[in-house]
Amino acid sequence: MNNIVMPSDKPPEITSTDETSLLVIVLDSNPGQKMLKDNPHILTHCVDSVIAFANCHLMQKSQNKLAIMACHSKASYFIYPGPGKPLDVRQVDGQYEVFTAVEKTTKQNLSKLLSSENSTVVTESLLAGAMAMALCYIARMQRTKPLGAKLNCRILVVTGSGCSASQYMNYMNVFFTAQKQCVVIDVCALDQHLSLLQQGCDITNGLYLKVPQLQGLLQYLLWVFLPEPPVREKLVLPPPVKVDYRAACFCHRELIDIGYVCSVCLSIFCKFSPICTTCHTVFKMPAPLAVKPKKKKIKL
Amino acid sequence: MADNGLSSSNHESTLIKPTNLECKNLYDYLKTRPSNVLERLYNHPTICLAVYRELPELARQYVIRILFVEQPVPQAVVASWGSQAFSKEHVYVSKVLTELAVWQEAAIPGGLLGWILSPTFKRNLKVALLGGGKAWSMSSALEADSKARDVTFLDAYSLERWECVLHYMVGSQQQEGISADAIVRRKSGIFLLQYLDTVEERGLDLVECLTFLFQLSFSTLGKDYSTEGMSPGLLVFLQHLREFGLVYQRKRKAGRFYPTRLALNITCTQNKGVTNIEEDSPKGYIIVETNYRVYAYTDSNLQVALIGLFTDLMYRFPNLVVGVITRESVRQAFRGGITADQIIGYLKQHAHPQMLQVDNRQPLPPTVVDQIKLWEMERNRLTYNEGVLYSQFLSQADFNVLKEYAQSNGSLIWCNKEKRTLVINKHAHDDVKKFWKRYSKGN
Repeated sequence: MNNIVMPSDKPPEITSTDETSLLVIVLDSNPGQKMLKDNPHILTHCVDSVIAFANCHLMQKSQNKLAIMACHSKASYFIYPGPGKPLDVRQVDGQYEVFTAVEKTTKQNLSKLLSSENSTVVTESLLAGAMAMALCYIARMQRTKPLGAKLNCRILVVTGSGCSASQYMNYMNVFFTAQKQCVVIDVCALDQHLSLLQQGCDITNGLYLKVPQLQGLLQYLLWVFLPEPPVREKLVLPPPVKVDYRAACFCHRELIDIGYVCSVCLSIFCKFSPICTTCHTVFKMPAPLAVKPKKKKIKL
Repeated sequence: MADNGLSSSNHESTLIKPTNLECKNLYDYLKTRPSNVLERLYNHPTICLAVYRELPELARQYVIRILFVEQPVPQAVVASWGSQAFSKEHVYVSKVLTELAVWQEAAIPGGLLGWILSPTFKRNLKVALLGGGKAWSMSSALEADSKARDVTFLDAYSLERWECVLHYMVGSQQQEGISADAIVRRKSGIFLLQYLDTVEERGLDLVECLTFLFQLSFSTLGKDYSTEGMSPGLLVFLQHLREFGLVYQRKRKAGRFYPTRLALNITCTQNKGVTNIEEDSPKGYIIVETNYRVYAYTDSNLQVALIGLFTDLMYRFPNLVVGVITRESVRQAFRGGITADQIIGYLKQHAHPQMLQVDNRQPLPPTVVDQIKLWEMERNRLTYNEGVLYSQFLSQADFNVLKEYAQSNGSLIWCNKEKRTLVINKHAHDDVKKFWKRYSKGN
């Protein structure tokens, strides 16, 4: 708007972002993950890396904000900032006391969580639920921030779980809400390739990375996920790969190439059914030849 | 045309010279320190942390990327991290990192040049980030304070103290203008740098004081810290800071102190109005209308005086002053050494929440912003260049040849065809002279 360019002998105009950046890390701590079952010690390594990464985020700018969530098979919890009063942390070594506070709070809350976990029945992690909670948290921060402040928000999911189509609906709701709220979703897959979450990254302009070697987790996190979205365009980062956009059918939660779509609510089914299970619309039974009914092909 | 090589300003010598306002941030300050001082500074995790935060965005990413790498990284590799479109920024960032001695050039077997982080810087940044090493000096354990102070109390205290210093410092209206046009945080930063320049004369150790200052800036508001284990010099320094309102101490010998908001912000010298996300940060109070009227909801004499520096005050009510920005009032401010950016920055910084509701990024009416800038540009119609005059050409052809040569070089400052005179940039003089010799020999 200011169209007058002032002469100045300053260094080349560097576009820098003076905005606050909020990072919510969703850490999958479900003991049922395959890689943790094989070798439980990996969790310590992952937690250490994530905490170091979180502190690096706080180190970038003094006004940066952070939240860490633990995601389990039954519920998700905020482990930083934890419930209740913040810990009164005094410095013990040369570490900046804010970083010490992050480390202590996170570890304390996580160990509390893991020791209270008693069920032996292992189900999949509720990643979609955790991400929805993260979005709520972000929405609250956006609402309470003072007028005039700009808050860049993003969610980083660190998980070793496999992809499950059973949460397909929840995932999609989260992804499109995030897109609408301008929240970037980054995903760091530790163990298996996650095609659904990859879609989410693609939708929200986030980054997806399947870590090739778990040993170097911290370096991968720092290289790829530390730069906040406005800075990313200045750096060369892994290019987006072709995203598998197959949808899961609503009846069996399986990824399908071709299926039936309800003309009213756009629910997807792998088999024709006369009544839509989502919106209860009644379709006319197909005439003798079952080719005509409202049937759309989903393109890949 | 070109940059003004000569400084055009000759301001009255005031307590704080206007030039300090333009360049004194942490980067400029450290850049001028000799490398052995920097090396000593980097021995402290706090300073590494502060320097790291002051680095440009891209530089911070570079440092993080090589923080855990033990060998030098080839320069070509580092250059390939940034995308093509921002190569200029990459060059600038590399320069900053070199100037601050954060990284050094190192040869890689195979004849390539690489970058490696300064070992001291690397070690201590890691300590700040991941832990290890010794605790910072002021963090000895303390039992709970029976008379603990809360954040509101500290804020009120620091503001009162700081205004005292300001009033003492500024005898005349003129000087007040210069020191007060920026926000309090900026002011305190500049003032402190000024003070730091005199620290060594007072027999205090600069490195020690700086380290302490940075530790202070990384402390938590509303928390008490111990003075145990501080050297006598540092205790004297602490008393000085107490006088500026940077720390609160109930008694001189209390053994504990509370940092105030001023101290926390001391190292954030980025002059862009970094809006604090904290809910308890002070609210803006200024409304600017497109008809150049300024309404300031305040009862503080200092704030009214500040507004009065660049506006003509019209009305004054118990909680409101109304002024109007005019060419004369703004020029008066310019004469006092205030820049347009500072005025606009001040208005923006303290914009009333109502103004922010309309447009977050541009709370001020663009016409007013542009006009203030135009009024400033009016005063800078002259640019100064060091040049060499070429005249008395024998023929128009000779003149043309030389003119074209200089033009293609970009060193031509001014020319007149009728009088056959040229003014050429001083730096290019040797080059043009050589060319002329070659040319006249050829003929």
